[in-house]
Amino acid sequence: MADRSGATLWRVERRTLLVAACQVLLLVVLVVGWEIATGRAALNAFLFGSPSAIWGHLVQMVRDGSLFRDGLVTGGETLLGFGLGNLIGTVLGLALWYSRFVSRLVQPFVVAIGSIPIVALAPIVIIWFGTGLASKVAMSTLSVVVVALVIAYKGALSVDEDQINLMRTLGATKWQIFRRIVIPSSLGDIFAGLKLTIGFALIGAIVGEFMSSSEGLGHAIFKAGSLYIISKVFAALVATIVLALLLTFIVGKVERLLMPWRRFD
Amino acid sequence: MLHPAPLLVADRVAKTYVGGGRAHAVIGEVSFSLRAGEIVSIVGPSGCGKTTLLNLLCGVLPLSAGSVVWRGLPLDGMPERVGYMLQKDLLLPWRTAVGNVKLGLELKRLSRAQCEERAHDMLRKVGLTAFHKYYPAALSGGMRQRVALARTLVTDPEVLLLDEPFAALDFQTKLLLEGDMARLVRSEGRSLLMITHDVEEAVSLSDRVVVLSHRPANIRAVHEIVLDADRGDMMDLRQSPRFVEYVRTIWSQLEARSSDG
Repeated sequence: MADRSGATLWRVERRTLLVAACQVLLLVVLVVGWEIATGRAALNAFLFGSPSAIWGHLVQMVRDGSLFRDGLVTGGETLLGFGLGNLIGTVLGLALWYSRFVSRLVQPFVVAIGSIPIVALAPIVIIWFGTGLASKVAMSTLSVVVVALVIAYKGALSVDEDQINLMRTLGATKWQIFRRIVIPSSLGDIFAGLKLTIGFALIGAIVGEFMSSSEGLGHAIFKAGSLYIISKVFAALVATIVLALLLTFIVGKVERLLMPWRRFD
Repeated sequence: MLHPAPLLVADRVAKTYVGGGRAHAVIGEVSFSLRAGEIVSIVGPSGCGKTTLLNLLCGVLPLSAGSVVWRGLPLDGMPERVGYMLQKDLLLPWRTAVGNVKLGLELKRLSRAQCEERAHDMLRKVGLTAFHKYYPAALSGGMRQRVALARTLVTDPEVLLLDEPFAALDFQTKLLLEGDMARLVRSEGRSLLMITHDVEEAVSLSDRVVVLSHRPANIRAVHEIVLDADRGDMMDLRQSPRFVEYVRTIWSQLEARSSDG
């Protein structure tokens, strides 16, 4: 019995290892192929950059400290927008549970606002919030807030009706039901939303930097692109991907910390 | 007086849903009463509106006709000192066993120490002291239903309303829980109204069994259950000849329902 489960475990692990190995292999093939293609001029290195040049730019950006500085700026904007957007969106979304009337009232407006591409708001946001940090945070917040609102509201609505009836038979008030049942049982959805919106927040911050900025990863990408330094564009993109992974990792860690009961699932 | 005033009187209770321009009667006309210290079961086939009936009695759903009177007063919102338990344990996954038991006490704004003490005490009575720190996800189905029972009993209800509470459990676990519940209810003089489709469960636990017809639900028969065997021993009960007779009679009444429907 123990042997068999051990063997199964090993089989599962072997599968995981195999997938990981193939992923690394795929990446290596792509990078090496790219390098060879640009080296033999099959691919124009000026237009497509090359892995070795990207690496060179990354090393240089680390040396002169710009990578860290830009990453910190963009990461800061992202986290601020992410926090603000989720706070506002979640509070409003949960609050909609309280009143069927208000939720039906605002529903078409939420859908309308949610369908606006945030990029289209960028010019107005720059005019309202200036060219500094505030406009990036605003762009990031706007990218997050509607999604967070809808997710929190859906989460609040999905609470088991029997659970609410049980609370009522125990003599709970509407506020007690909200605080003890609706909020905690929506947490699962809200956290799933956090993992989704961290990406949106980053996009919002980068778009904000594209419009007007003097620092940040979006600024680095935009500037290198304007100067046709394609490898540097890719270098900043790599930094952005790393930042996105790092932020997602942090959100996942916080989730596990805040919902200990989920560890048994 | 031999029979004290009934705790609960349902008088010609009816429920009709309107949908698609037509009225659908779920409960035709049901009348019965529950006296203090009594255990009454309502049996009926699945889908006959038993759960609707229970929800009508505790004010979760509004009545279409008839009246429900609790302790001489007409139903107004949730009746006082009534515990409610379903087939689904409805434990909160983010609370430990003891945290779930405490829920009803916290809503009544008892002090923290009192909540703790009474919750632990009740967990002991259902035999789960060792598991008080476990989250529901780490407990078995029977244990979870024991926690749900403790949560129901800890607020000291006079009446328990149970809707197929043991239907999801295996036979052995079910008998153990039935026995424990009967003991806890009878020893503390509580009343119990249970809805079930399990005829043996109804006969073994109850003083009275009300048999419902299919939709729209009407009362088909009422049986006063008198058994000589020890009412606390769920296995012993099942051996008694009168038990078998009751079960057979009620079964035939449920069968008759399906042939005329």
